[in-house]
Amino acid sequence: MASPTVPRVSRVRRQLPTSPWLFAAPGLLITGAFILYPFVSTLVNAFTDRRTLIPGQFVGLANFRELLGDEMFWIGLRNSTLYVLGVVPALVVLPLLLALLVQKNIPGITFFRSAFYTPVVASIVVVGLIWVWLLDERGLVNSLLEAIGVGRVGFLSDQWLLLLSAMTVTVWKGLGYYMIIYLAALANVPPELHEAAAVDGAGPVRRFLNVTVPAVRSTMVLVGALSSVAAFKVFSEVYLMAGPSGGPAGEDTTLVMLVQRTGTGLTGRVGYASAISVVVFVVTVALMLLVLRADRRDES
Amino acid sequence: MPVSRRALAAAFAVCVVLPLSACGSGGGDGIAADASGKVEGDITFQTWNLRANFKEYFEGLIADFEKKYPGTDVKWIDQPAEGYADKISADAAGGTLPDVVNVSPDLVAPLAKAGLALDLDKAAGQYEKEYLEGAWASHRIPGMTGTYAFPWYLNTGPLFYNKSLFKEAGLDPDQPPKTYGEVFDAALKMAEETDGEVATLANVPTIEDFGRYGVELMNEEGTAFTFNDAKGVELLARYKELYDAKALDPQALTATPESSGKKFLTGAVAMNPGSALDLGNFKKQAPNLYKNIGITDQITSTGHVNMYVMGVMVNAQTKRTPAAVAFAHYVTDAAHQMSFAKQVAIFPSTAGSLDDPYFTKEDGTDETRVRVAAAKSLKNAVNYTPVLFSEQMKTELRNEVAKALQGKESPKQALDNAVEACNRLLQQQG
Repeated sequence: MASPTVPRVSRVRRQLPTSPWLFAAPGLLITGAFILYPFVSTLVNAFTDRRTLIPGQFVGLANFRELLGDEMFWIGLRNSTLYVLGVVPALVVLPLLLALLVQKNIPGITFFRSAFYTPVVASIVVVGLIWVWLLDERGLVNSLLEAIGVGRVGFLSDQWLLLLSAMTVTVWKGLGYYMIIYLAALANVPPELHEAAAVDGAGPVRRFLNVTVPAVRSTMVLVGALSSVAAFKVFSEVYLMAGPSGGPAGEDTTLVMLVQRTGTGLTGRVGYASAISVVVFVVTVALMLLVLRADRRDES
Repeated sequence: MPVSRRALAAAFAVCVVLPLSACGSGGGDGIAADASGKVEGDITFQTWNLRANFKEYFEGLIADFEKKYPGTDVKWIDQPAEGYADKISADAAGGTLPDVVNVSPDLVAPLAKAGLALDLDKAAGQYEKEYLEGAWASHRIPGMTGTYAFPWYLNTGPLFYNKSLFKEAGLDPDQPPKTYGEVFDAALKMAEETDGEVATLANVPTIEDFGRYGVELMNEEGTAFTFNDAKGVELLARYKELYDAKALDPQALTATPESSGKKFLTGAVAMNPGSALDLGNFKKQAPNLYKNIGITDQITSTGHVNMYVMGVMVNAQTKRTPAAVAFAHYVTDAAHQMSFAKQVAIFPSTAGSLDDPYFTKEDGTDETRVRVAAAKSLKNAVNYTPVLFSEQMKTELRNEVAKALQGKESPKQALDNAVEACNRLLQQQG
């Protein structure tokens, strides 16, 4: 005869205790309502021809097939990828150098730390507008360039210079944020390691490469992952500097700008915009996995 | 109570299935609800960025309406200009569209197609004769029968020009160009005389420019765009000529109304469209420009300037149709339009209002000069913006125009591409 306790154990295993769920309930509800539901909704819409005011019908993979032939999608993918390639290396390296500069506790250093952090707390719209004024054809930068005989440069009218200008703003604005992360990591590097290296005759560059970099490597991976995801999803900087149409002939459009342009307004193509969003999501996850995998390979 | 995995799975399924419920059929012609009956009940009225400057006017208007129709209560909502279409989209999709909504014709079209705008030909046709014929017709949608909003105020901007820049370039500051041909000639001369330092125009051609150049924008049925005809190609080819000569500002491809306004203020551009409100701005921000400001009509080769029409739509799903229709009419009737026009530089769309001495007699100030000139040109103005021309279509046209100006495509190829893209979007709109 089978033991009478067996089914009870099985039921207990299948059922979860209530109290942890009650504690987690507010968080779960918020996550469900504001993250899970919109995510699933976007996923579902990607397979429909839904528009803002007209519920759609299922169209299978039609939106994704259309993406393949949409020139603007490829432009968006190109620009978002270029943004990652241009911005991420700068945001991994420059904040580290900046952190090393302001790491020392010398009089007045707090001022510099605060100054470097100021762009982070500034509104992106204000920052964007200030940079547009600076880089305008008759702005400060061009006036200086003209004064030294270089002549005016079309920072805001050439598609590549525009993208480069937007990248510069992203890097400038992000430096302080990642600098703080590096400062925390540098504080954990034992000073004895530097002292030992110095005794062995290592100069500042060698100490940086052989002591500092390995010690903050995991932080560099974190910064790389965070900044690559943010760079791939860039919107504000390019929108403010290149305008709503995405620069000359839309050549500076990024994928998120394309989502906004396609899916909003009374005639927005919600289904198609959702399909682009799904692509953005997949690429973002792939980027994260790539960075983490590179990190694991380095560790092994 | 223990939570089973089944319950969790069910919760997840709800998340998956709920979005699916959004799929299905919808849309259709506007519903003609019955507007007869007693005017009573609570209604909501949404305006477009008007509270900041006209709070007192609207509160007075609402109080008067409530006094005239006891038992009514109007709740006024004002939305900021930025993202107004998105706000309406969200309300319309969520079933919370106010009863009476301030709209422009291009916003009415998708709402009417989704069955959310009341057909006023059926519900309030008796009021049609109170309005200018063209203004009433501006809220008709090609492919649909009916009129979907009361016309409210009209506007047409003058064209400002910098007289001192004209003088320096050897152009007659008292004889500004009137047609596109004259503008192109003047712009090329300006660029040549200033060695490309001063551009005459700051913006790439829009759909309204094509209209004022005499290009047929759509076919008669309103089912396809046609602005890639020979005349359209000719206009774009002339703009390309200007762009190459720096007679069109090099940053025109990414210009916004704000950026081109700033260029005009700084003397980098010689001509810029605007409104009577800009004069105060010139006086404050660029006194030297203000002293040399020239004011002329919009450039047109058809004899008609472009007019912008603002409307007031009634939600077809309102539960208070008589009150909503009565209020929408009350806001837009001749007396109230006239009184609103005296608050701000706009023009009434009601028949005969533009003959009022307020719009025909100058008192020597620039403000009245602009007002009288604009009112005169409005009498035969045309709304050149096709009601079905969506934001996405504007972007398509702008991008193709930019490619032509950069020399990446011929003007013909660029316009063919733009028309093809706009027609595709038109079909997708349903």
